Amino acid sequence: MRKKRKQKPLPYLLLLPMVILFGLFTFYPFIRSIYLTFFITDPLGNPSSFVGFSNFERVFTDEGFVKSLVSTIKFAAMVGIGTFSVAIVLALLCMHPRRGSKIYQTMYALPIAVASVPVSALASYILSKYGILNQLLGIDIGWFSTEQTALIACAAVTIWSSVGTSFIFLLVGFRNVPEDLLECSRLDGAGPIRRVLNVVLPLASPQVFFVIFLNIVNSFKAFAIIKLLTQKGPNDSTNILVYAIYSNAFLRGRFETACVYSLVLCALIFLVTRVQLLCEKRMVYYQ
Amino acid sequence: MRRKDWLGVLGFIAKLILGLLFISPLLVGLVFSFVPSRLLNNLPDLETVLGNLTLENYKWIMGYIPIFRFLGNSFVVCAVIIVVQVILSSFAAYAFSFFRFRGSKILFQIILIAMMIPAEVTVIANYLTIQSMNLVNTYAGLCAISLLSGTSIFMMRQSYMQIPRELKEASLVDGCSDMRFLFRIAMPLTVPAIASLAIFLFISAYNMYFWPMLVAQNTDKQTIQIGMAMLVGTENVEYGHVLAGAMLSIVIPVAAFIIGQDYLIKGMTSGAVKG
Repeated sequence: MRKKRKQKPLPYLLLLPMVILFGLFTFYPFIRSIYLTFFITDPLGNPSSFVGFSNFERVFTDEGFVKSLVSTIKFAAMVGIGTFSVAIVLALLCMHPRRGSKIYQTMYALPIAVASVPVSALASYILSKYGILNQLLGIDIGWFSTEQTALIACAAVTIWSSVGTSFIFLLVGFRNVPEDLLECSRLDGAGPIRRVLNVVLPLASPQVFFVIFLNIVNSFKAFAIIKLLTQKGPNDSTNILVYAIYSNAFLRGRFETACVYSLVLCALIFLVTRVQLLCEKRMVYYQ
Repeated sequence: MRRKDWLGVLGFIAKLILGLLFISPLLVGLVFSFVPSRLLNNLPDLETVLGNLTLENYKWIMGYIPIFRFLGNSFVVCAVIIVVQVILSSFAAYAFSFFRFRGSKILFQIILIAMMIPAEVTVIANYLTIQSMNLVNTYAGLCAISLLSGTSIFMMRQSYMQIPRELKEASLVDGCSDMRFLFRIAMPLTVPAIASLAIFLFISAYNMYFWPMLVAQNTDKQTIQIGMAMLVGTENVEYGHVLAGAMLSIVIPVAAFIIGQDYLIKGMTSGAVKG
């Protein structure tokens, strides 16, 4: 840039609200969370006595924490794989726009608009002990009150509510695949499965990776479904980290413990995004 | 040709059935929200359902739950969040795409870093901040943490970068000030992006749960999600009421989605993935 030109204050003024808001509600609370982990807090969340790293020691050696971490990872794996599998089938079905395709496309994407609370409300009825699913199957499992099934049931509910978003992203990716490439590979004798595996998926790899990691990260945040359907039970089997943050801070008043859990969640999300970047660098083909 | 047409029709019907199956939880909820709770403890057969259709559940909700208050609160929160985010993210997008200034790189980095810190991690400390500002149970407290996000800035920046630079230079020559250019030329040009962003923000703000649950502690400030969640959590749960409440709470976002889905999809997918 030419140096002579006077610096205008306008761009700084335009960005001032951004700096203030991010500072106040993103960076400050983040640093405060880190700070609080070194203290014991009073019930109002103010630091009262400095304890060094002993909060970390206490949490990391706690069985409940390990169980929570394991549940979180299991939950993420189920949601990640489940959502992706359903969404990719739906997106492949809709890949070629046809007359009337908008109708079923809208149906597949509809869960985007349905919040976790009504989803949980519907699930609490459909999956209740005497609910529709059990009646149809002729069994009486309490899906949310049995230790073996609770996390799976919560994952199924989460999968239903996140398929819509993944479907849309995959659909956009698949529709960007040039029609003539598909035609060429068809003429070269590639069957539908080969065409999907060797042409469509590599060309839509940015969206494919984005969707896989989006669902993993979103599963870490599935607070409402856990809160409304299982409240971390039975026997803490659905106590995923985000719920543990809430229950430690707001049910038990242990803000410093909750902050340790927050940092672990943050580290986990950071790790996943790192892996995502690595995978993208190695395997994604950009057109 | 004929055979191909038939296959097309069959495919359409199959995909339609799959779609209905996929949204069947919603359809089940809709139908059974018109059935009295006492019949819902066992799966009622079709005859019982058709013979007992009633508005009783909806009447109960309207009579015993301040649902219009909840909806009103949700709309206030959504409106504030949409207006503030649209304005502030347009400001930021304008600054980044039309000005060269010292520190612009660092300021841009700030957005990227902020986007890496998830709201679930900062929620406790944010609650403590709001509490110390005495904003618990106020609209200001409900909206505070959602007044700007990196995603919105990126969505707006995407469309600001498409405005030709020459337009700005020409209007400068004609004596148009920087702010006038923003409000009179740039913002009108980005109306489609603003529409995408507004629908996206409406659905996400309307559907917020974690934060409003912490901040809105009394009925007078609670949003629709919090109100409906209270129905799910009760003992001796009346499923008729739960389903009717769920249906009332999703009518508006579902309508917004169906009407605005083209904008929404464009907005969601424009900035998120390279490729």
